Amino acid sequence: MKLIITDIEDFHVQIDGEYKIIKPHAHIQHCIGCFGCWVKTPGKCIIRDGFENTGILMSQSIEMIFVSQCYYGSVSPFVKMVQDRAISYIHPDFVIREGEMHHKRRYQNVITLSAYLYGDKISDAEKETARSLMKANALNYDGKVKNVSFYNSLKELEDIVL
Amino acid sequence: MRIAFIDGSPKIKQSTSGILLEDIKSSISQQAECIDITMHKQKLSDIQLEQLKSVDVFVISCPLYVDGIPGHLLSCLGQLEETFKNQLQINVYGIVNCGFYEGQQARYALNILENWCIKTGLIWSGGIGIGGGGGISQMPNGPRVPINKAFQEMGNNIMQKQIQKNQYVSIAFPRFLYKVAAQFGWRQLMKSNGGKPKDLNKQW
Repeated sequence: MKLIITDIEDFHVQIDGEYKIIKPHAHIQHCIGCFGCWVKTPGKCIIRDGFENTGILMSQSIEMIFVSQCYYGSVSPFVKMVQDRAISYIHPDFVIREGEMHHKRRYQNVITLSAYLYGDKISDAEKETARSLMKANALNYDGKVKNVSFYNSLKELEDIVL
Repeated sequence: MRIAFIDGSPKIKQSTSGILLEDIKSSISQQAECIDITMHKQKLSDIQLEQLKSVDVFVISCPLYVDGIPGHLLSCLGQLEETFKNQLQINVYGIVNCGFYEGQQARYALNILENWCIKTGLIWSGGIGIGGGGGISQMPNGPRVPINKAFQEMGNNIMQKQIQKNQYVSIAFPRFLYKVAAQFGWRQLMKSNGGKPKDLNKQW
């Protein structure tokens, strides 16, 4: 399955194959750093607002695709809040991966990450940060990066196929 | 000089970001007027915006969340860009703490703060990435020496509004012991919540 996380409420991009979309259909509560998703309800965020299952959806996915406004080289606040609330995809214990400390896997699926980032005047520095961030995310999820691309406007996104 | 100490953790109490802010405050000469600002929510209040408008320096402290800065803080930064774009001449220093051992893992979060400064017209003045953040609140002074040293240098730079290069430090505590202590801690927390250690491995 493809898991698509977007900040575009009215999302009409062509998608091939089986997929699920997480979009801002309601207000999202941000992660409060309680680690309840590791030590109270392992695998699932404790905040019940309709955005608590992303970690589980990630475990059922082979691709995770961000379609988001580029925010200083990061994904947008909504997409980041979804991502922050999904750390239960990984296990709290640490492992050493590529010489750095990261989290152990909870599940065995390997996720391939893509980011389609849009925005007016995305600078070269922001693009560089975004590419590096996706690589760092992939290392943390023990996954891979497939594609990071940039678009000047929402209109340009209409032609992509996910 | 007026300095805003901005706690960007979502935690209202006992955040590592808040503890680190208190530490850097103690490295700053008493001639400065310190203003505490909390960014625990997704939006800043009008009062907070007014307070931030009147300072010379921002010191932003936050945790590393999924290699970047927390989503609620990104939202606040967006609000600040919209409100103050190219209107303020403020030096911004960043402190990002991560649960991983290597402070270097905070580098992209510091890059995000720098990119935000450029977009907003603020003066990025450098940051510190701190590794081993998970243990800071329970640690005595010894393992915190490398952090205090980096804070001393940043404190001097803040008082002179000097720009510094990003620095990366870790606690003075062996990585393998930090890893073992963290794993023990998760099991204790699981037990205190009524679960068993094996529940940490739950799959859906």
